[in-house]
Amino acid sequence: MPRIISTDLGVGVGLRVPHYAAILAERPPVDFFEVISENFMVEGGKPLFHLDRVLEHYPVVQHGVSLGIAGPDAPDRAYLARLKQLLKRTKAPWVSDHFCWSGAGGAHLHDLLPIPYTPEAVRRTAERARMIQDVLEVPFALENTSSYLTYRSSTLSEWEFIGEIAERADIGLLFDVNNVYVSAYNHGFEAETFVRSVPHERIIQIHLAGHTHLGKYIIDTHRGTVTEAVLDLYRTTIQLAGPVSTLIEWDDEIPALPVLLAEAERARQVRNEGLALRAGQPSPPRRDPTALPITSGERAGWKQGGPRESAAAEVVG
Amino acid sequence: MSDALSELQLALASALRERGSLPANAAWSAFAAEHISENARLSPADQLEIYREQFWLRHTSSLLEDFPGLSGILGQADWEKLAEHYLGEIPPDSYTLRDLGRRLPEVLERATWLPHHAVCLDMARLELAYVEVFDAPDLPPLAAERLATIPEESLADAKLVIAPSVRLLELGYPVAELRRRLRAEGDEAVSIPSPAPQRLVVYRRNLRLWDMALGSVAFGLLKGLAAGKSLGGAAELVATSEEAEGELARNIGAWLAEWTGKGLISDVTL
Repeated sequence: MPRIISTDLGVGVGLRVPHYAAILAERPPVDFFEVISENFMVEGGKPLFHLDRVLEHYPVVQHGVSLGIAGPDAPDRAYLARLKQLLKRTKAPWVSDHFCWSGAGGAHLHDLLPIPYTPEAVRRTAERARMIQDVLEVPFALENTSSYLTYRSSTLSEWEFIGEIAERADIGLLFDVNNVYVSAYNHGFEAETFVRSVPHERIIQIHLAGHTHLGKYIIDTHRGTVTEAVLDLYRTTIQLAGPVSTLIEWDDEIPALPVLLAEAERARQVRNEGLALRAGQPSPPRRDPTALPITSGERAGWKQGGPRESAAAEVVG
Repeated sequence: MSDALSELQLALASALRERGSLPANAAWSAFAAEHISENARLSPADQLEIYREQFWLRHTSSLLEDFPGLSGILGQADWEKLAEHYLGEIPPDSYTLRDLGRRLPEVLERATWLPHHAVCLDMARLELAYVEVFDAPDLPPLAAERLATIPEESLADAKLVIAPSVRLLELGYPVAELRRRLRAEGDEAVSIPSPAPQRLVVYRRNLRLWDMALGSVAFGLLKGLAAGKSLGGAAELVATSEEAEGELARNIGAWLAEWTGKGLISDVTL
């Protein structure tokens, strides 16, 4: 089956505030940037100024963190209208958010909360995803999340759950390989089974990121480099899915831009290996996935999109 | 929606906003055991607790980012107490964390138990103004020549449109200066100032945020314009004494030129 979107933007990085000055001054060779939609769903000022300058030189895709598609309340029409307004500005070839819920009873918890993997949740999420794609009038994708709990009521595996929704709603998948790895460790399933079981033709973008291993569980901190074990899963994903736009997320302890760009090149190399495997060339040796550093006792949080560009540092006098 | 999935999500949303540890709470531990699977390393309540901790970490960090001056006045212990009180009373309800503190001044008004209550309230109002002005709509400033083209006999009827990236604040303490000192010198080195009423204009220019103190007549004129009064109507509001009338007559031209130059005025209509 052909992929639902054939656009391959190459290997990009998340657009983050600490890099704005270097990007605009040096215009480094980056295939594309991904922006956190909500950071730019504002009326004016610095965020949109910077976005417009980046748009002059690079393709940009939009990734949301606040839709909460599977929550008790129907998607917020005002939110979707603003999202669509931003899409007109960025001309992003697709827009994405997460398989999650984020609030209930009027409260917005600003988190990617896991959904019970049930037929009821499939129905709700698929209906809304189809509606959202119709409203936004660009291809819409949802991303598998890292999770830290599983529900007794789940009757499907996560890969069955997201695959079923993608098929029913006819949407794309943003496949986060690091999230697969994190959830596999936290919940005790085989990461490679997940990678092999999703509908590969629906993968329109891939995320890679670092994580923090706390011993009893792993947190998707988007901190540090991508582990070798995750890169091995990524190679397999590319082998199965073909040339898919891939993005490095680095949102905590954000390094200097050259370090981030070197990480993108590292991903590009693995991507090329995956594409060579797909073309029938021999497989490179696998690395040892057990050699992971454990950072016990560290207080770690998960972040989406790094720091907001905010007023605090902008007061002159 | 009142199906089983929604009911579960409503209960979980309450659990995640609990201030205390969930594994230490018998009722929430029982709830977690009923709905969440145990795994080899974590109990159901431990798993839920990961998300609860993140709720508080994320939202208190975001408030701190937008209200550094307020936290500097209070110190860590009282700041954390206030942030928890605020998030408990006003759960986040916007898709963006940018809006998280928009009701902080309102809650602070009632939080009379805080030390330096009046200074805190002024600082919160100032810092909220910075947040609002930072990404307010962009409108090109009025060109100074436009004002000059208005016939003198029509000036009183002219309505000057104040830019959306302008906020006018009447404060009891010099909190803008206090905030600068807190950021430059640190919380420990700075003492709380004495009361000193101040009329402050917060505005954005060249993408940066600025504040400017005005005298009562100039501020009153600007406030009248912001309320939609014509130039003549706003002038009438402030010309309440011979002294004020004289100040207005002497300075109005220079004020309008300065405000236009700083981008405080975005349009003029007749």
